[in-house]
Amino acid sequence: MILVYVVLALIPLTGQRFYIYLGSLFMIYAIFALSYNVLFGYARLVSFGHGLFFAWGAYATALTTLNLYRDPLVGVLVGIVTALIPSLVVGFLTVRHTRIYFAILTLAFGMVFYSALVKLRWLTGGTDGLVGIPKRGVILDISSPQAYYYFILAFFIVSTLLLYAISRSSIGLLIRALGGNEERLPFLGYSVFQLRLVAFTISGVGSALAGSLYAILMGVVTPDISYWTFSAEPLIMCLVGGFEHFMGPLVGAFVIVVLTTIAARFYEVWMLVLGLMVIGIVLAFRGGFTGFLETTWNLARHMVVARGGASKS
Amino acid sequence: MIDLDTFLSQLVVGLFRGSLYWILAAGLTLIFGVTRILNFAHAAILVTGSYITYTIYVSTGSYVLAFLGAIIACGLLGAVTEVLLIRRVYGLDPLYQLLLTFGVTLVVNEAQKLVWGKGSVYVPTPEMLRGGVAVGAVTVSYYTVFVVIVGFLLLLALHYFINMTMMGLRLRAVWRDPVMSEVLGLNPKNYYTLVFFLGSAIAGLGGALLIPAITVGPGLGDHLIVLAFIVVVLAGLGNIVGSYITALAIGVTWSLLTLVTPELDIVILYLISALILMVRPQGLFGER
Repeated sequence: MILVYVVLALIPLTGQRFYIYLGSLFMIYAIFALSYNVLFGYARLVSFGHGLFFAWGAYATALTTLNLYRDPLVGVLVGIVTALIPSLVVGFLTVRHTRIYFAILTLAFGMVFYSALVKLRWLTGGTDGLVGIPKRGVILDISSPQAYYYFILAFFIVSTLLLYAISRSSIGLLIRALGGNEERLPFLGYSVFQLRLVAFTISGVGSALAGSLYAILMGVVTPDISYWTFSAEPLIMCLVGGFEHFMGPLVGAFVIVVLTTIAARFYEVWMLVLGLMVIGIVLAFRGGFTGFLETTWNLARHMVVARGGASKS
Repeated sequence: MIDLDTFLSQLVVGLFRGSLYWILAAGLTLIFGVTRILNFAHAAILVTGSYITYTIYVSTGSYVLAFLGAIIACGLLGAVTEVLLIRRVYGLDPLYQLLLTFGVTLVVNEAQKLVWGKGSVYVPTPEMLRGGVAVGAVTVSYYTVFVVIVGFLLLLALHYFINMTMMGLRLRAVWRDPVMSEVLGLNPKNYYTLVFFLGSAIAGLGGALLIPAITVGPGLGDHLIVLAFIVVVLAGLGNIVGSYITALAIGVTWSLLTLVTPELDIVILYLISALILMVRPQGLFGER
């Protein structure tokens, strides 16, 4: 993890705007995917509506910085704090349901939000979205690439450390237990509903943080980020990286961001490759990339141990 | 105030839309009913049907051929997908089934862009079905009537097939108890392939009916699958007659909402759907 931070901190020293942009994008998607995984990987609930929270963060930041207080830091903080509202409300209404019903319900709420963003032109600018989100504000000026990069990096470090702490805490363990055997939890005196709501809120607020940073980075927000296909992006990242492992979504975000940016230059058919990857992973490597590494590692260790045992006898 | 004619014409539009949603949802719910797989790729297959209709129509000029071609091609596409991919995930967590069909959706969508390009395509209304009948001051196009009738015939056909034929009886046996039906000499796998063929062929029919009504382009499938999911889940997964009623109800509600609040029609529609799902996750016509 520290290695990731160090490498990320060194990227701006190359001075290449392209790498700085790519690094920023990676950190944002990584926060999104890691937050999503709290619900998907730990609690095993598939949401097709997380674009809602991402878009909430992005639009809250955009509206705050454009209309209320012109500062990126304040904008992001408003994005995170206000995201508690939709996370708790949608969570409260959906986490009673599981599996397909949960997926369809989150999809429906995501579409409610999407169509509201498109239709409420006076507030959201409709399909054109909101433009001119400032990087230079009253308190902070992060208009240079290095500055906004380190701004995003700071949020990345804090949020990933928090998410890691959560995954190691007793609450994190309990949420994992939800995915494992939820019938047993009530016998131990825990409320499945409350735990799911906690998981939902953590992932909702985390996604909103990613959305807020996205708005600052891009300077523009459009309703696309609340459409369900965008909600599927962190899902694919978790799947590619492997959702069993904490670092999985991070790896997935890296693979997807790098491949999308680089492959999209060469192939028109990038999404086709992505689709084939998803199919391949479901059929052959259900642990994703990290799962694959773990299996290989275990296998290699067993072979070494077996050989060691043989040489001794 | 809304006058009667506007109301009537919106009602007709609603029935027309509802019938298309029904044809879209029918195959999806049939497939789920028997195999317990919610096929994410269903709308993508339907749009493929639209494209195939377009290609055959442009090259031969025959609607009948285009319709038949779309139905058969989509049926085969569904069956091949089942045999090659979906067959491998029947026993697994539903999560993987959903993800697999989602992967198929991405592939089918991109393949469409490769074959038919990124622009939109369009087929004019068949010669026979141009014009319309006047009901009061409202003119209802023949094409609208045609689609509504086809939708209703499809309902009758499916109902007859499932409840009154030997094949339907076997399908129901596989649906109720795959293990027991295997003991009795039915191979559930063959029936799963059959049902994917039928469901996808119905999607092909839907695609063929859709293309004279709207222009077809990339992204349409992503939009349609949401509606399809909402119809089948609202109706209660696997419920054929329920899906018909729900689809028509959604079509009509949408049209009437457009009349009342053109600003918020879709928002309210999705909100109503979400609320119903929260109260009755098993669907309006479903039983737990």
